Amino acid sequence: MSKLLNLLPWIRRRKERELERELRYHLDRRVDELRAAGVSEADARRRAAHEFGGVAQVQEAVRDVWIHRWLDDLGRDVRYAIRGLARRPGFTATALLSLALGIGASTAILSQVDQLLLRRLPVHEPGRLVQLAWVGNSLSATWGGGHLLSYPLCRELETRAELFDGVLCRAPTTVSLSTGSERQPVRAELVSGSYFEVLGVAPELGRLLDRSDDREPGGQPVAVLSHAYWQSRLGGAPDVVGSRVLVDDRPVTVVGIAPARFVGLDPLAPTALWLPAMATPQVAPLERGWDRVLDRRAAWLHVIARLAPDVSMEEARRALRPWFRATLDADTRRPGFPAVAPDERRAFLASTLDVLPAARGMSSLRGALERPLLVVAGGTLLLLLLSSLNVGGLLLARGAARRGELATRMAMGASRRRVAGQLLVESSLLALGGGVLGLLAAPVLSRVLLSLLTWSDDLRPHVDLRTLLLALLASALAAALCGLAPVLHTGRVSLIASLREQSRSATRGGVALRKALVVGQLALTLLLLTGAGLFVQSLARLHANVGFDGRGLALFSLDPASIGHDQARAERAMREVLRRVREIPGVTGAAVANTTMLTGGWSTRRLTIQADERIVPDRPVPYMRVGADFFRTLGAPVVAGRDFDARDVRAPGEAPRPWRSAIVNESFVRRYLGGRSPVGHRLGVGAQPGTATDIEIVGVVRDFSRRSLRDEDVPQVFFPYWDHDSGDGAFYVRVRGAPESAFAAIRAAVAQVDPALPVSSLRTYADQVDRATWTERALARLVTAFGVTALLLSIVGLYGVMSFVVTQRRRELGVRLALGATRPAAVWLVVRDAVLMIGAGTAIALPAAWALGRLVEAQLYGIRAVAAPTIAAASGALALAALVAALVPAWRAASTSPTEALRLE
Amino acid sequence: MPSSRFPIPQGTLDMLILRILSLGPGHGYGIAQRLQQVSRDAIQVNQGSLYPALHRLEEKGWLRAEWRESETGREAKFYSLTPAGRKQLEVEKESWNRLATAVRLIFAEGG
Repeated sequence: MSKLLNLLPWIRRRKERELERELRYHLDRRVDELRAAGVSEADARRRAAHEFGGVAQVQEAVRDVWIHRWLDDLGRDVRYAIRGLARRPGFTATALLSLALGIGASTAILSQVDQLLLRRLPVHEPGRLVQLAWVGNSLSATWGGGHLLSYPLCRELETRAELFDGVLCRAPTTVSLSTGSERQPVRAELVSGSYFEVLGVAPELGRLLDRSDDREPGGQPVAVLSHAYWQSRLGGAPDVVGSRVLVDDRPVTVVGIAPARFVGLDPLAPTALWLPAMATPQVAPLERGWDRVLDRRAAWLHVIARLAPDVSMEEARRALRPWFRATLDADTRRPGFPAVAPDERRAFLASTLDVLPAARGMSSLRGALERPLLVVAGGTLLLLLLSSLNVGGLLLARGAARRGELATRMAMGASRRRVAGQLLVESSLLALGGGVLGLLAAPVLSRVLLSLLTWSDDLRPHVDLRTLLLALLASALAAALCGLAPVLHTGRVSLIASLREQSRSATRGGVALRKALVVGQLALTLLLLTGAGLFVQSLARLHANVGFDGRGLALFSLDPASIGHDQARAERAMREVLRRVREIPGVTGAAVANTTMLTGGWSTRRLTIQADERIVPDRPVPYMRVGADFFRTLGAPVVAGRDFDARDVRAPGEAPRPWRSAIVNESFVRRYLGGRSPVGHRLGVGAQPGTATDIEIVGVVRDFSRRSLRDEDVPQVFFPYWDHDSGDGAFYVRVRGAPESAFAAIRAAVAQVDPALPVSSLRTYADQVDRATWTERALARLVTAFGVTALLLSIVGLYGVMSFVVTQRRRELGVRLALGATRPAAVWLVVRDAVLMIGAGTAIALPAAWALGRLVEAQLYGIRAVAAPTIAAASGALALAALVAALVPAWRAASTSPTEALRLE
Repeated sequence: MPSSRFPIPQGTLDMLILRILSLGPGHGYGIAQRLQQVSRDAIQVNQGSLYPALHRLEEKGWLRAEWRESETGREAKFYSLTPAGRKQLEVEKESWNRLATAVRLIFAEGG
């Protein structure tokens, strides 16, 4: 170690000073001597220097000795360490793999955490961007997710120039974009004219959208393309500016290209195209015939503002309050403001605008991945800790086993520091090797992690260099610590004591430390096992929430309007496809509905119920439009009244009409009708005093998950699919046997109706459920893998310690057996140690496991998990596995004959 | 005058230093003087070359060094033999004797 330390500058400087002092002493003495003999001072100095042969040269020669020696030692240590490691391949492989896994996994995961959760938008001063969010009842219809506001409100916020250096709004959408012969669905952002200016983004080519593009509805629509789309689809052609593209088959002029690093406000879902918000109804309506850009009660935009330089979020929040209150007040007096009950009006007027940080942009994916990633990061850190403990334990054991060797080397004259330095070289080699392996593993692990957590193509496996360096540094530190324990140990070795002890194995101190490490490992393992149990349990609960038997069910979607069919033609195609699918052999039922279920979204309507009295539900009720036979096809029982049938289907060619019948679910009945049968009661769409209630409730269906598997006790209402315009939708097909067997026939049936009509999302319902639980399944798998790995690691650790203890106590056991102790008694003597360790580990982990259970219950899933049985099961599994690991060496020791055990000495 | 004295044979300086220090601890200047005295000025040591040798022997663990007060009252770096150094001296003496004997024998035969 002293040799390694010589590299440190301050130690080198000290050595240099000492050398100078040493040489000066010599020269001064010689000069004194010569002067005593009568030589003059100047002559004496000259002669002394001459005899000495040049101070600088001597200093250089001494330095050479130091460096040569140091390199020599290092080379010898490295060779010695490599030989030593190669002699014990098991030890070396275990340690290397542990370190590689730790470094690789933590690099991969921390890189993703950085990419997904921490990175700021690549725009001008992202730290000053904030999002404005409505808190309270906005009495608005909504399109999209997150905090949505209306376009007029966004424009009015722009007038608060003393608070904001600009306000923008945006709505993500998907459009089909045609350039030349290419036609494909792409992500687009509908943005206000202020968007690029407020963000401070400059064009790559041409110009970006500005306020003149977003002045009024209609006009000649323009668009900006992303750099990536321009490069990959248009070959980077410079004449793109001014060219025409088709957005959902409507012509749009390209005015410019955005810079490469800017992909929109959702960094995880890159945008291909930006369109002015004003052009939305014309170019990319949010639904058929949507025209509510200027509607104050239509919430569909995320509003982002740039705070003025000296305004804090809190100040903005405060300053907005009176202004917003006045705006709301003015709203209520505007024509067209919905007539609502007084308490709803009060709730509306009490609404406030919140100001939230938005430096990282807004990503729905981030929201979905934030917690999973943090869970995974936590698990990885635990695992890393665990594997470090294992490596530490291994090095400790190795240190203890080598005490004899080390003591002998010291007796031969090697300095203590020299031996310690040599051990440190060994652990540094391990760390370096583990680091290199981890570096190789990180990209692979990163890819695996992403494929497990999401099916999004937009996330690239990514290894952050800084993170990698950090992990390498951490591993070097870990190895230094692991190496340090035996070094300290060796440092304390008294020579005589060691040599005397050599035949009788190592000290108690090392064993106690190793036992403590194993207790720590067992505790961490119990935590991970509990986590795994909770995740698996939650997943099972989610699956149970489907609400009907999804096996044998297939689904697919059609959108005839996307290939240019007009309303009447689209409807004819839909009816024809349904008829043909029902005729496919093996199909026992088929129905159409307006959307695919379990996609995380839904539409809601305000309703009025006319039972014995008039009831206005407190919030908009989710609704879905379904065709005849829908519930029978799903296998969701209609528990009262009837299913939709031919009576509810509008005849072909007949004009669209208002809804006349509805089916509600059991939660609806429980929540709004106190459990009374609603069949025969009436509904109205709207919540105003004058709302007509002319829709008859014809049936009640059992609850099933419609938007997501987390929805429990959600009131729902179903209206007939065919009453309104029905030009697109999702088909649900029940098949005898495996649903996949009908896929070809389904495609053929659609092709017979119109060969150009694309079939999208053709999959089994089980697939749909898997997609809806993708993250949960990935987490359950990952955490289970963590738990099993942890169990293996700690069992290896426990086994190691027990083998060691048994070897130590073999003689004692031999004596006891010779004196007549039974074998089980001897085994117990050893296993008692293990039981104590397991008990201690469990006791340490229990409070943390319980807290983990509460966390999962409260936050992770929003569904109830029962922690206690899971913890009990995890503890049981751990105890069982650990006991087996302890029993094996104990039994072996107790099986040796007493004479043999005694002869071992 | 220098030509009348031996240049010191390669590798012999280490042995001589060990030998001198086997009589008791000493600093560099003392060792140089001792070397002159003991060899009755027959051996020429470039005094500076003593120090790389001392440091080499210290790094090898044959010498240990400490600063303490010298006979003049000033602090000097004193070297002394370690057990390993003592052993090494025996080894060197032994091999030197064998070499010297062999050389003498060869000259006697040739003479």
